Amino acid sequence: MTVEGVELGRRLFYDKRLSANNTIACGSCHQQRHGFADIRAFSLGFDGTPTRRNAMSLTNLLWVRHFFWDGRASSLEAQAITPMTDPHEMGQSPDHAAGKLRAVPGYAALFAAAFGSDSVTGERIVKALAQFERTLISDHSRYDRYIRGEYRLTSSEQQGLTLFFTNNDPVRGIRGAGCGNCHSGPKVFSETYHNNGLDSLPTDPGRLGVTGMEYDRGRFRVVTLRNIALTAPYMHDGRFRNLAEVLDHYSEHILPGPTLSPSLRDSLNRPIELHLTSVEKGNLLAFLNMLTDSVFITDPRYADPFAIKTKTVE
Amino acid sequence: MTLCFLVIAFTGRAQQPATVKVTGEVLTPLTLTASDLAAMPRTTASAKDKHGIMHSFSGVAIADILNKAGVTTGRQLRGENLAKYLLVSCADGYQVVFSLAELDSSFTDRVVILADQEEGKPLPAGIGPFRLIVPGEKKPARNCFQVTTLAIRFAKE
Repeated sequence: MTVEGVELGRRLFYDKRLSANNTIACGSCHQQRHGFADIRAFSLGFDGTPTRRNAMSLTNLLWVRHFFWDGRASSLEAQAITPMTDPHEMGQSPDHAAGKLRAVPGYAALFAAAFGSDSVTGERIVKALAQFERTLISDHSRYDRYIRGEYRLTSSEQQGLTLFFTNNDPVRGIRGAGCGNCHSGPKVFSETYHNNGLDSLPTDPGRLGVTGMEYDRGRFRVVTLRNIALTAPYMHDGRFRNLAEVLDHYSEHILPGPTLSPSLRDSLNRPIELHLTSVEKGNLLAFLNMLTDSVFITDPRYADPFAIKTKTVE
Repeated sequence: MTLCFLVIAFTGRAQQPATVKVTGEVLTPLTLTASDLAAMPRTTASAKDKHGIMHSFSGVAIADILNKAGVTTGRQLRGENLAKYLLVSCADGYQVVFSLAELDSSFTDRVVILADQEEGKPLPAGIGPFRLIVPGEKKPARNCFQVTTLAIRFAKE
Protein backbone atom coordinates (compact mmCIF):
# COMPACT_ATOMS: atom_id res chain seq x y z
CA MET A 1 0.00 0.00 0.00
CA THR A 2 1.20 3.50 -0.82
CA VAL A 3 -0.19 6.98 -0.21
CA GLU A 4 -0.44 7.40 -3.96
CA GLY A 5 -2.23 4.07 -4.40
CA VAL A 6 -4.75 4.95 -1.70
CA GLU A 7 -5.37 8.39 -3.20
CA LEU A 8 -5.94 6.87 -6.64
CA GLY A 9 -8.23 4.30 -5.06
CA ARG A 10 -10.30 7.02 -3.38
CA ARG A 11 -10.76 8.83 -6.70
CA LEU A 12 -11.78 5.58 -8.40
CA PHE A 13 -14.15 4.73 -5.54
CA TYR A 14 -16.11 7.90 -6.31
CA ASP A 15 -15.71 7.93 -10.10
CA LYS A 16 -19.01 7.19 -11.85
CA ARG A 17 -17.15 6.25 -15.01
CA LEU A 18 -16.69 2.88 -13.32
CA SER A 19 -20.32 2.13 -14.25
CA ALA A 20 -21.50 1.33 -17.77
CA ASN A 21 -23.56 4.52 -18.20
CA ASN A 22 -21.48 6.75 -15.88
CA THR A 23 -24.28 7.11 -13.33
CA ILE A 24 -23.01 5.30 -10.24
CA ALA A 25 -19.73 4.80 -8.42
CA CYS A 26 -18.81 2.49 -5.53
CA GLY A 27 -19.57 5.46 -3.29
CA SER A 28 -23.17 5.65 -4.57
CA CYS A 29 -24.18 2.58 -2.56
CA HIS A 30 -21.39 2.82 0.04
CA GLN A 31 -22.00 6.30 1.42
CA GLN A 32 -19.59 7.70 3.99
CA ARG A 33 -22.31 9.41 6.04
CA HIS A 34 -24.02 6.04 6.40
CA GLY A 35 -20.88 4.17 7.46
CA PHE A 36 -20.26 3.36 3.78
CA ALA A 37 -23.60 1.56 3.49
CA ASP A 38 -26.83 2.42 1.68
CA ILE A 39 -30.14 3.41 3.26
CA ARG A 40 -32.05 1.25 0.76
CA ALA A 41 -32.79 -2.39 1.54
CA PHE A 42 -31.51 -3.17 -1.95
CA SER A 43 -29.29 -0.73 -3.81
CA LEU A 44 -30.05 0.22 -7.38
CA GLY A 45 -27.59 -0.69 -10.11
CA PHE A 46 -26.70 1.53 -13.08
CA ASP A 47 -29.82 0.32 -14.92
CA GLY A 48 -32.12 0.74 -11.92
CA THR A 49 -32.21 -2.96 -11.06
CA PRO A 50 -32.21 -3.67 -7.31
CA THR A 51 -29.30 -5.73 -5.98
CA ARG A 52 -29.87 -9.20 -4.57
CA ARG A 53 -28.69 -8.32 -1.07
CA ASN A 54 -28.27 -5.27 1.17
CA ALA A 55 -25.13 -3.19 0.57
CA MET A 56 -22.64 -3.96 3.32
CA SER A 57 -20.98 -1.23 5.36
CA LEU A 58 -17.26 -0.73 4.79
CA THR A 59 -15.40 -0.45 8.07
CA ASN A 60 -12.17 -2.00 9.33
CA LEU A 61 -12.00 -4.29 6.29
CA LEU A 62 -8.28 -4.74 6.85
CA TRP A 63 -9.24 -7.36 9.44
CA VAL A 64 -11.90 -9.13 7.37
CA ARG A 65 -10.91 -12.26 5.47
CA HIS A 66 -14.09 -13.18 3.62
CA PHE A 67 -16.34 -10.67 1.87
CA PHE A 68 -20.00 -10.45 0.89
CA TRP A 69 -22.85 -11.76 3.00
CA ASP A 70 -21.95 -15.30 1.95
CA GLY A 71 -18.18 -14.89 2.23
CA ARG A 72 -17.56 -15.85 -1.39
CA ALA A 73 -14.65 -13.45 -1.98
CA SER A 74 -11.43 -13.98 -0.06
CA SER A 75 -9.84 -10.62 -0.82
CA LEU A 76 -10.97 -7.04 -1.30
CA GLU A 77 -9.62 -7.24 -4.85
CA ALA A 78 -11.83 -10.25 -5.62
CA GLN A 79 -14.74 -8.45 -3.97
CA ALA A 80 -14.34 -5.26 -6.00
CA ILE A 81 -14.52 -7.05 -9.35
CA THR A 82 -17.98 -8.44 -8.57
CA PRO A 83 -20.11 -5.26 -8.45
CA MET A 84 -18.03 -3.76 -11.27
CA THR A 85 -18.77 -6.62 -13.65
CA ASP A 86 -22.28 -7.54 -12.47
CA PRO A 87 -24.56 -6.85 -15.46
CA HIS A 88 -27.04 -4.97 -13.26
CA GLU A 89 -24.74 -3.25 -10.76
CA MET A 90 -21.96 -1.33 -12.54
CA GLY A 91 -22.20 -3.33 -15.74
CA GLN A 92 -18.72 -3.34 -17.27
CA SER A 93 -15.44 -5.18 -16.83
CA PRO A 94 -12.54 -3.48 -15.03
CA ASP A 95 -10.64 -3.57 -18.35
CA HIS A 96 -13.50 -1.75 -20.06
CA ALA A 97 -13.46 0.84 -17.26
CA ALA A 98 -9.70 1.19 -17.76
CA GLY A 99 -10.28 1.96 -21.44
CA LYS A 100 -12.63 4.80 -20.47
CA LEU A 101 -10.24 6.20 -17.87
CA ARG A 102 -7.35 6.29 -20.36
CA ALA A 103 -9.25 9.04 -22.16
CA VAL A 104 -9.58 11.11 -18.97
CA PRO A 105 -6.78 13.66 -18.53
CA GLY A 106 -4.84 13.24 -15.30
CA TYR A 107 -5.47 9.56 -14.63
CA ALA A 108 -2.30 8.36 -16.35
CA ALA A 109 -0.22 10.49 -13.97
CA LEU A 110 -2.13 9.15 -10.94
CA PHE A 111 -1.56 5.55 -12.07
CA ALA A 112 2.14 6.31 -12.67
CA ALA A 113 2.47 7.74 -9.16
CA ALA A 114 0.72 4.69 -7.68
CA PHE A 115 2.18 1.88 -9.75
CA GLY A 116 5.43 3.18 -11.31
CA SER A 117 4.17 3.36 -14.88
CA ASP A 118 1.26 5.19 -16.47
CA SER A 119 -0.47 2.07 -17.73
CA VAL A 120 -4.18 2.22 -16.81
CA THR A 121 -5.43 -1.35 -16.44
CA GLY A 122 -8.40 -3.10 -14.92
CA GLU A 123 -6.14 -4.98 -12.53
CA ARG A 124 -4.63 -1.74 -11.27
CA ILE A 125 -8.08 -0.19 -10.80
CA VAL A 126 -9.07 -3.11 -8.60
CA LYS A 127 -5.80 -2.99 -6.63
CA ALA A 128 -6.12 0.75 -6.00
CA LEU A 129 -9.74 0.39 -4.88
CA ALA A 130 -8.69 -2.32 -2.41
CA GLN A 131 -5.87 -0.12 -1.10
CA PHE A 132 -8.31 2.71 -0.38
CA GLU A 133 -10.79 0.37 1.25
CA ARG A 134 -8.09 -0.95 3.59
CA THR A 135 -7.62 2.56 4.97
CA LEU A 136 -11.27 2.82 6.03
CA ILE A 137 -10.44 2.31 9.67
CA SER A 138 -12.88 3.32 12.37
CA ASP A 139 -11.25 3.71 15.78
CA HIS A 140 -12.68 6.94 17.18
CA SER A 141 -16.07 5.75 18.39
CA ARG A 142 -17.00 6.25 22.04
CA TYR A 143 -16.40 2.52 22.47
CA ASP A 144 -12.83 2.90 21.19
CA ARG A 145 -12.28 5.85 23.52
CA TYR A 146 -13.68 3.78 26.39
CA ILE A 147 -11.27 0.93 25.58
CA ARG A 148 -8.39 3.41 25.55
CA GLY A 149 -9.48 4.75 28.95
CA GLU A 150 -10.49 8.14 27.51
CA TYR A 151 -14.24 7.91 28.01
CA ARG A 152 -16.39 7.14 31.00
CA LEU A 153 -19.48 5.07 30.29
CA THR A 154 -22.91 6.31 31.25
CA SER A 155 -24.87 3.93 33.45
CA SER A 156 -27.00 2.85 30.50
CA GLU A 157 -23.95 2.26 28.27
CA GLN A 158 -22.28 0.24 31.02
CA GLN A 159 -25.32 -1.96 31.46
CA GLY A 160 -25.72 -2.31 27.70
CA LEU A 161 -22.09 -3.33 27.27
CA THR A 162 -22.40 -5.91 30.04
CA LEU A 163 -25.61 -7.33 28.55
CA PHE A 164 -24.05 -7.43 25.08
CA PHE A 165 -21.00 -9.44 26.12
CA THR A 166 -22.61 -11.67 28.78
CA ASN A 167 -24.26 -15.02 28.07
CA ASN A 168 -27.70 -15.52 29.51
CA ASP A 169 -27.62 -18.17 32.23
CA PRO A 170 -30.90 -18.29 34.18
CA VAL A 171 -29.70 -21.29 36.25
CA ARG A 172 -26.91 -19.19 37.74
CA GLY A 173 -29.03 -16.05 37.76
CA ILE A 174 -26.88 -14.33 35.16
CA ARG A 175 -28.66 -12.02 32.75
CA GLY A 176 -27.10 -11.51 29.33
CA ALA A 177 -28.03 -11.09 25.70
CA GLY A 178 -25.05 -13.10 24.40
CA CYS A 179 -24.48 -10.81 21.38
CA GLY A 180 -20.72 -11.02 21.89
CA ASN A 181 -20.64 -14.75 21.08
CA CYS A 182 -20.70 -13.83 17.41
CA HIS A 183 -20.06 -10.09 17.44
CA SER A 184 -16.93 -10.81 19.44
CA GLY A 185 -14.48 -8.49 21.07
CA PRO A 186 -13.66 -4.93 20.04
CA LYS A 187 -14.03 -5.94 16.37
CA VAL A 188 -17.74 -6.64 17.07
CA PHE A 189 -17.79 -9.25 14.32
CA SER A 190 -16.33 -12.71 13.85
CA GLU A 191 -15.32 -14.59 10.74
CA THR A 192 -18.26 -16.97 11.08
CA TYR A 193 -21.56 -17.74 9.35
CA HIS A 194 -24.85 -18.23 11.13
CA ASN A 195 -28.51 -18.72 10.39
CA ASN A 196 -30.01 -16.24 12.84
CA GLY A 197 -33.58 -17.49 12.54
CA LEU A 198 -35.04 -14.87 10.23
CA ASP A 199 -37.06 -17.50 8.30
CA SER A 200 -37.89 -21.15 8.87
CA LEU A 201 -37.56 -21.68 5.12
CA PRO A 202 -34.90 -19.24 3.96
CA THR A 203 -35.61 -17.82 0.51
CA ASP A 204 -31.95 -16.83 0.11
CA PRO A 205 -29.63 -19.88 0.33
CA GLY A 206 -26.83 -17.75 1.81
CA ARG A 207 -23.60 -19.64 2.40
CA LEU A 208 -25.05 -22.75 0.70
CA GLY A 209 -24.59 -20.94 -2.60
CA VAL A 210 -20.83 -20.97 -1.99
CA THR A 211 -20.28 -24.38 -0.44
CA GLY A 212 -23.11 -26.46 -1.92
CA MET A 213 -23.73 -27.85 1.56
CA GLU A 214 -27.31 -28.13 2.79
CA TYR A 215 -26.23 -27.31 6.34
CA ASP A 216 -25.17 -23.87 5.11
CA ARG A 217 -28.70 -22.92 3.99
CA GLY A 218 -29.66 -19.49 5.28
CA ARG A 219 -26.27 -18.93 6.86
CA PHE A 220 -24.78 -15.46 6.48
CA ARG A 221 -21.59 -13.84 7.63
CA VAL A 222 -21.57 -12.21 11.06
CA VAL A 223 -21.12 -8.58 10.10
CA THR A 224 -19.43 -5.82 12.00
CA LEU A 225 -21.56 -3.66 14.25
CA ARG A 226 -19.21 -0.70 13.80
CA ASN A 227 -21.34 2.34 12.85
CA ILE A 228 -24.36 0.08 13.04
CA ALA A 229 -26.69 2.94 14.02
CA LEU A 230 -25.92 4.57 10.64
CA THR A 231 -26.38 1.56 8.37
CA ALA A 232 -30.14 0.85 8.49
CA PRO A 233 -31.92 -1.11 7.15
CA TYR A 234 -30.56 -4.34 8.59
CA MET A 235 -29.93 -8.00 7.66
CA HIS A 236 -28.93 -9.38 4.25
CA ASP A 237 -32.30 -8.37 2.85
CA GLY A 238 -32.72 -5.11 4.75
CA ARG A 239 -35.92 -6.39 6.38
CA PHE A 240 -35.50 -4.50 9.65
CA ARG A 241 -35.91 -0.74 9.42
CA ASN A 242 -34.18 0.11 12.68
CA LEU A 243 -32.18 -1.35 15.55
CA ALA A 244 -35.27 -1.66 17.74
CA GLU A 245 -36.65 -4.17 15.23
CA VAL A 246 -33.34 -6.04 15.27
CA LEU A 247 -33.43 -6.29 19.06
CA ASP A 248 -37.06 -7.43 18.93
CA HIS A 249 -36.00 -10.21 16.55
CA TYR A 250 -33.25 -11.53 18.79
CA SER A 251 -35.39 -11.04 21.88
CA GLU A 252 -38.38 -13.20 20.96
CA HIS A 253 -38.84 -13.68 17.22
CA ILE A 254 -36.08 -16.13 16.26
CA LEU A 255 -37.69 -18.80 14.10
CA PRO A 256 -36.86 -22.52 14.29
CA GLY A 257 -35.29 -24.28 11.32
CA PRO A 258 -32.91 -27.13 10.55
CA THR A 259 -29.90 -24.82 10.14
CA LEU A 260 -30.68 -22.37 12.95
CA SER A 261 -27.42 -21.48 14.71
CA PRO A 262 -26.73 -23.65 17.79
CA SER A 263 -25.84 -20.38 19.53
CA LEU A 264 -29.49 -19.35 19.21
CA ARG A 265 -30.98 -22.58 20.58
CA ASP A 266 -31.76 -23.45 24.17
CA SER A 267 -30.99 -26.73 25.92
CA LEU A 268 -34.13 -28.29 24.41
CA ASN A 269 -33.08 -27.22 20.90
CA ARG A 270 -35.75 -24.52 20.71
CA PRO A 271 -35.02 -20.97 19.54
CA ILE A 272 -33.92 -18.91 22.52
CA GLU A 273 -36.34 -16.31 23.86
CA LEU A 274 -34.58 -13.66 25.88
CA HIS A 275 -37.64 -11.45 26.47
CA LEU A 276 -35.52 -8.38 26.89
CA THR A 277 -37.24 -5.67 28.90
CA SER A 278 -37.66 -2.21 27.42
CA VAL A 279 -34.96 -0.99 29.83
CA GLU A 280 -32.59 -3.74 28.65
CA LYS A 281 -33.31 -2.90 25.02
CA GLY A 282 -32.63 0.75 25.76
CA ASN A 283 -29.32 -0.16 27.37
CA LEU A 284 -28.31 -2.33 24.42
CA LEU A 285 -29.18 0.53 22.07
CA ALA A 286 -27.04 2.85 24.19
CA PHE A 287 -24.12 0.47 23.73
CA LEU A 288 -24.76 0.04 19.98
CA ASN A 289 -24.83 3.82 19.59
CA MET A 290 -21.36 3.93 21.16
CA LEU A 291 -20.09 2.21 18.03
CA THR A 292 -20.89 5.24 15.87
CA ASP A 293 -17.69 6.97 14.80
CA SER A 294 -18.44 10.56 13.80
CA VAL A 295 -14.76 11.19 13.04
CA PHE A 296 -14.78 8.30 10.56
CA ILE A 297 -17.89 9.41 8.71
CA THR A 298 -16.63 12.98 8.32
CA ASP A 299 -12.96 12.19 7.69
CA PRO A 300 -11.93 14.16 4.57
CA ARG A 301 -9.46 11.40 3.64
CA TYR A 302 -12.42 9.16 2.85
CA ALA A 303 -14.62 11.80 1.21
CA ASP A 304 -15.65 12.17 -2.42
CA PRO A 305 -12.84 14.14 -4.16
CA PHE A 306 -15.18 15.12 -7.00
CA ALA A 307 -17.59 16.73 -4.53
CA ILE A 308 -14.74 18.67 -2.91
CA LYS A 309 -13.57 19.90 -6.31
CA THR A 310 -17.06 21.12 -7.21
CA LYS A 311 -17.27 23.12 -4.00
CA THR A 312 -13.89 24.74 -4.66
CA VAL A 313 -14.95 25.82 -8.12
CA GLU A 314 -18.15 27.32 -6.75
CA MET B 1 -37.42 -33.03 -9.57
CA THR B 2 -38.37 -29.53 -10.71
CA LEU B 3 -37.74 -28.21 -7.20
CA CYS B 4 -34.36 -29.92 -7.12
CA PHE B 5 -33.46 -28.35 -10.44
CA LEU B 6 -34.55 -24.92 -9.21
CA VAL B 7 -32.44 -25.24 -6.09
CA ILE B 8 -29.39 -26.16 -8.14
CA ALA B 9 -30.09 -23.41 -10.67
CA PHE B 10 -30.51 -20.77 -7.99
CA THR B 11 -27.48 -21.73 -5.95
CA GLY B 12 -25.33 -22.65 -8.89
CA ARG B 13 -24.07 -25.70 -7.03
CA ALA B 14 -25.38 -29.22 -6.65
CA GLN B 15 -25.81 -30.54 -3.12
CA GLN B 16 -22.64 -32.28 -2.05
CA PRO B 17 -21.99 -34.99 0.53
CA ALA B 18 -20.28 -33.72 3.68
CA THR B 19 -16.58 -34.54 3.96
CA VAL B 20 -13.65 -33.77 6.22
CA LYS B 21 -10.50 -32.69 4.41
CA VAL B 22 -7.09 -33.35 5.92
CA THR B 23 -4.58 -30.89 4.48
CA GLY B 24 -1.36 -28.98 5.10
CA GLU B 25 1.78 -30.63 6.48
CA VAL B 26 0.69 -34.15 5.50
CA LEU B 27 2.17 -36.79 3.22
CA THR B 28 -1.23 -37.82 1.92
CA PRO B 29 -4.04 -35.26 1.78
CA LEU B 30 -7.37 -36.93 2.57
CA THR B 31 -11.00 -36.22 1.88
CA LEU B 32 -12.92 -38.42 4.30
CA THR B 33 -16.57 -39.30 3.77
CA ALA B 34 -18.95 -40.80 6.30
CA SER B 35 -18.26 -44.28 4.91
CA ASP B 36 -14.47 -43.73 5.11
CA LEU B 37 -14.85 -42.93 8.80
CA ALA B 38 -17.15 -45.91 9.34
CA ALA B 39 -14.42 -48.19 7.93
CA MET B 40 -11.66 -46.84 10.19
CA PRO B 41 -10.90 -48.12 13.74
CA ARG B 42 -13.75 -46.88 15.94
CA THR B 43 -13.49 -45.44 19.41
CA THR B 44 -15.69 -43.69 21.95
CA ALA B 45 -15.42 -40.55 24.06
CA SER B 46 -17.61 -38.65 26.48
CA ALA B 47 -17.96 -34.97 27.10
CA LYS B 48 -20.28 -32.52 28.81
CA ASP B 49 -22.35 -30.15 26.72
CA LYS B 50 -22.62 -26.44 27.51
CA HIS B 51 -25.43 -27.21 29.93
CA GLY B 52 -23.20 -29.60 31.91
CA ILE B 53 -24.89 -32.81 30.74
CA MET B 54 -22.60 -35.75 29.85
CA HIS B 55 -23.02 -37.40 26.44
CA SER B 56 -21.36 -40.42 24.85
CA PHE B 57 -20.01 -40.23 21.33
CA SER B 58 -18.34 -42.58 18.88
CA GLY B 59 -16.08 -41.91 15.95
CA VAL B 60 -12.43 -42.08 14.96
CA ALA B 61 -9.45 -40.92 17.02
CA ILE B 62 -7.91 -37.78 15.52
CA ALA B 63 -4.52 -39.46 16.04
CA ASP B 64 -5.58 -42.30 13.69
CA ILE B 65 -6.71 -39.81 11.05
CA LEU B 66 -3.40 -37.95 11.32
CA ASN B 67 -1.48 -41.22 11.02
CA LYS B 68 -3.44 -42.14 7.92
CA ALA B 69 -2.52 -38.77 6.39
CA GLY B 70 1.17 -39.22 7.21
CA VAL B 71 1.49 -36.51 9.85
CA THR B 72 4.57 -36.52 12.11
CA THR B 73 3.12 -38.45 15.05
CA GLY B 74 4.57 -40.87 17.66
CA ARG B 75 8.34 -41.23 17.38
CA GLN B 76 8.47 -38.52 14.71
CA LEU B 77 6.86 -36.01 17.04
CA ARG B 78 10.01 -34.43 18.41
CA GLY B 79 12.35 -31.54 17.70
CA GLU B 80 10.90 -28.93 15.41
CA ASN B 81 7.87 -31.10 14.69
CA LEU B 82 6.66 -30.07 18.15
CA ALA B 83 5.96 -26.65 16.64
CA LYS B 84 3.27 -28.13 14.43
CA TYR B 85 -0.41 -27.73 15.19
CA LEU B 86 -3.80 -28.88 14.03
CA LEU B 87 -6.20 -26.17 12.88
CA VAL B 88 -9.78 -27.47 12.97
CA SER B 89 -12.23 -25.57 10.76
CA CYS B 90 -16.00 -25.87 10.97
CA ALA B 91 -18.76 -25.11 8.47
CA ASP B 92 -19.77 -21.91 10.27
CA GLY B 93 -16.20 -20.60 10.10
CA TYR B 94 -15.41 -21.41 13.73
CA GLN B 95 -11.81 -22.57 14.22
CA VAL B 96 -9.80 -24.07 17.09
CA VAL B 97 -6.21 -25.30 17.35
CA PHE B 98 -4.38 -28.13 19.09
CA SER B 99 -0.65 -28.63 19.24
CA LEU B 100 0.19 -32.05 17.78
CA ALA B 101 1.49 -33.13 21.19
CA GLU B 102 -1.99 -32.60 22.67
CA LEU B 103 -3.30 -35.32 20.35
CA ASP B 104 -0.49 -37.85 20.48
CA SER B 105 -0.57 -41.02 22.57
CA SER B 106 3.16 -40.69 23.34
CA PHE B 107 2.34 -37.44 25.17
CA THR B 108 -1.15 -37.93 26.56
CA ASP B 109 -3.69 -40.61 27.38
CA ARG B 110 -6.54 -38.36 26.35
CA VAL B 111 -8.09 -39.41 23.04
CA VAL B 112 -9.69 -36.63 21.02
CA ILE B 113 -12.11 -38.01 18.46
CA LEU B 114 -13.88 -36.94 15.31
CA ALA B 115 -17.35 -38.12 16.24
CA ASP B 116 -20.11 -39.07 13.82
CA GLN B 117 -22.50 -40.65 16.34
CA GLU B 118 -24.03 -39.59 19.65
CA GLU B 119 -25.58 -42.28 21.86
CA GLY B 120 -25.41 -44.62 18.85
CA LYS B 121 -27.28 -42.30 16.48
CA PRO B 122 -26.09 -39.91 13.77
CA LEU B 123 -25.38 -36.43 15.09
CA PRO B 124 -28.36 -34.03 14.98
CA ALA B 125 -28.75 -31.39 12.27
CA GLY B 126 -26.81 -28.27 13.06
CA ILE B 127 -24.17 -30.30 14.90
CA GLY B 128 -23.22 -33.09 12.48
CA PRO B 129 -22.40 -34.97 10.48
CA PHE B 130 -18.93 -34.65 12.05
CA ARG B 131 -17.90 -32.95 15.28
CA LEU B 132 -14.96 -32.92 17.63
CA ILE B 133 -15.08 -34.42 21.13
CA VAL B 134 -12.31 -33.39 23.51
CA PRO B 135 -12.72 -35.33 26.76
CA GLY B 136 -11.90 -33.76 30.10
CA GLU B 137 -11.95 -30.10 29.18
CA LYS B 138 -13.54 -27.62 31.60
CA LYS B 139 -15.14 -25.71 28.74
CA PRO B 140 -16.79 -27.37 25.73
CA ALA B 141 -15.51 -24.67 23.39
CA ARG B 142 -13.23 -27.00 21.41
CA ASN B 143 -15.95 -29.66 21.01
CA CYS B 144 -16.80 -27.93 17.78
CA PHE B 145 -19.62 -28.75 15.36
CA GLN B 146 -19.72 -29.59 11.65
CA VAL B 147 -16.00 -30.08 11.22
CA THR B 148 -14.97 -29.60 7.58
CA THR B 149 -11.17 -29.40 7.59
CA LEU B 150 -8.25 -30.66 9.67
CA ALA B 151 -5.21 -28.66 8.57
CA ILE B 152 -1.73 -29.35 9.89
CA ARG B 153 0.34 -26.17 10.09
CA PHE B 154 3.84 -25.27 11.17
CA ALA B 155 4.21 -22.50 13.76
CA LYS B 156 8.02 -22.47 13.52
CA GLU B 157 9.41 -18.94 13.37
